[in-house]
Amino acid sequence: MIVRAAAPAGLARVRPSRALSEGRFVALLLSPAVLVMFAFTTLPVIYLVWTSLHTLNPAEPYANGFVGASNFVALASDPRFWNALRLTGIYTVSTVILQLVIGLGLALLVTNLGRAAGVLRIAAILPMILAPVVVGLIWRTLLLTPQYGVVDFIGLSLGLGSHNWLGNPTLALVSVIAMHTWQWTPFAFLVFVAALASLPRDPFEAAVIDRANAWQRFRYITLPLIRPAIVIVVILRTIVALCAFEAIFAVTGGGPGTATEILNLYAYNKSFIELSIGYGASIAVVLLAITLILALVLFRLRTARR
Amino acid sequence: MKSRSWTIVRYTVAVAVLLVWTFPLLWTVLTSFKTPSEVFTYPPHFFFHPTLENYRQALVGYSSIVPNLGISAVIATSTTVLTMLISIPAAYALARRRFRGRYAVGLYVLTTQMLPPIGLIIPYFLIFNRIGWSDTYQALIAIYLTFAIPFAIWLMISFFEDVPLEMEEAAYLDRCGRFRTLWHVILPQVRGGIMVTLLFVFMSSWNEFLFAIVIGGSHIRTVTAAMYNFISVEQTLWGPLTAAACITMLPVVIVGMLAQKHIVSGLSLGAVKGGGRTR
Repeated sequence: MIVRAAAPAGLARVRPSRALSEGRFVALLLSPAVLVMFAFTTLPVIYLVWTSLHTLNPAEPYANGFVGASNFVALASDPRFWNALRLTGIYTVSTVILQLVIGLGLALLVTNLGRAAGVLRIAAILPMILAPVVVGLIWRTLLLTPQYGVVDFIGLSLGLGSHNWLGNPTLALVSVIAMHTWQWTPFAFLVFVAALASLPRDPFEAAVIDRANAWQRFRYITLPLIRPAIVIVVILRTIVALCAFEAIFAVTGGGPGTATEILNLYAYNKSFIELSIGYGASIAVVLLAITLILALVLFRLRTARR
Repeated sequence: MKSRSWTIVRYTVAVAVLLVWTFPLLWTVLTSFKTPSEVFTYPPHFFFHPTLENYRQALVGYSSIVPNLGISAVIATSTTVLTMLISIPAAYALARRRFRGRYAVGLYVLTTQMLPPIGLIIPYFLIFNRIGWSDTYQALIAIYLTFAIPFAIWLMISFFEDVPLEMEEAAYLDRCGRFRTLWHVILPQVRGGIMVTLLFVFMSSWNEFLFAIVIGGSHIRTVTAAMYNFISVEQTLWGPLTAAACITMLPVVIVGMLAQKHIVSGLSLGAVKGGGRTR
């Protein structure tokens, strides 16, 4: 089942016997979660916005104070910010497309492959359950290092030559994109396997009778039917890509230079390395705004297409 | 004939992908049994004399990660327990109750779940410094709740929606109260879902790193942060580092493999229904 109806329409028909009113019951169930989320998430976000309107640097306390929107004005003419924004765009778009295409391709490929598909499904879990920081360290140390990394060795064996994968700006960006894709494509794969498994058979049988070829069957039957799964994968993976931090932190720390410094890392480096916390907060606010707007647009898209 | 070669292609690709997904992990395990000179051998060796020295270094001595394992266990367990207590009732209300503002609350949970962690760590860093909570258990647990609760609610909603409505109706007809119905009739139905959610929350708390280094770090040092025990400016101790990584990953991998079926269903269910941000 891919498309499910929204929650069944309540239980208003059957009145429970207890005196406790429905409104109170719902309030009791919901209030702890809502209160905790408000106190632990919403309030800090408000405080973040407040901080972004200040100069706040523990190393230079004499300059601290309310500065209005000047952090944001400074951002607009900060080349490192625009670079980070551009990298965030490249990173997000490329990882999402790669996960989508590879995940769907792979899921199509292994349908009806029996046991092999089962083995692959189990293996798919492995990259996902590992700590991103550990994944970053593994990739950095064992796979990408020139002279003894395995990827370098394979590249050399294939005649591609030895490369300083994390030292060259372009290759470093390619490496972190490849890493993210490696870790999270399994997610898209598993979702698409589930989606394909739930497809009805009749339209395909009808299509075979109508002599539709494989591509036509995919394009006009499979694709429209799994559209909800595609949309949801795009939404979730976009959001996660926008949150990415730990693996890049472990593998390049944003470097070389600022070659892999996406907005998350820029905000982190500004706030906790250079201690310009107010300025770092303004970067985080921009990222937050982008994430929320994008998420709302994507979700609108989802409900519209249903 | 064509279909047969196609099958061969499919199997080849499947095997290749299997290798790509598992190799980094296998290689880490292999490296954790290598001597320092073996680690740097080029071309890399697949066969060598294994040593347990790296594990000894990771577990015993001044850079031992055993205390960190304990700290991570305490934090991840507390986060999980609190999250489940708070999220299960909320998820039930959102999945099964009809009330004004349901859509708004759902949207609120969803947007809360999407916030990039960097947006939270900056205010938390300032607040905890001010109230003297930095480097404490409660600080890390509090900040872990920010991602665990919305995630758990969203995942649990899909499990509650799978319980047939008739069960609740029957319970009410038998004059069973709302709380008793939830406790005795509904919760047993979603036991599997609770297990999956519990696992996901535990794993994401166990694996968390950004909050752990900014809020914790010196006193309360989780095991992911402790990976950096073996990395210094001068050198990186690859052997003990990979050994520590293996030890850290072991519980997650074991649990993940044991609950493999549930995880797959949880992921696809959560994803298909619109929830579920795994990190």
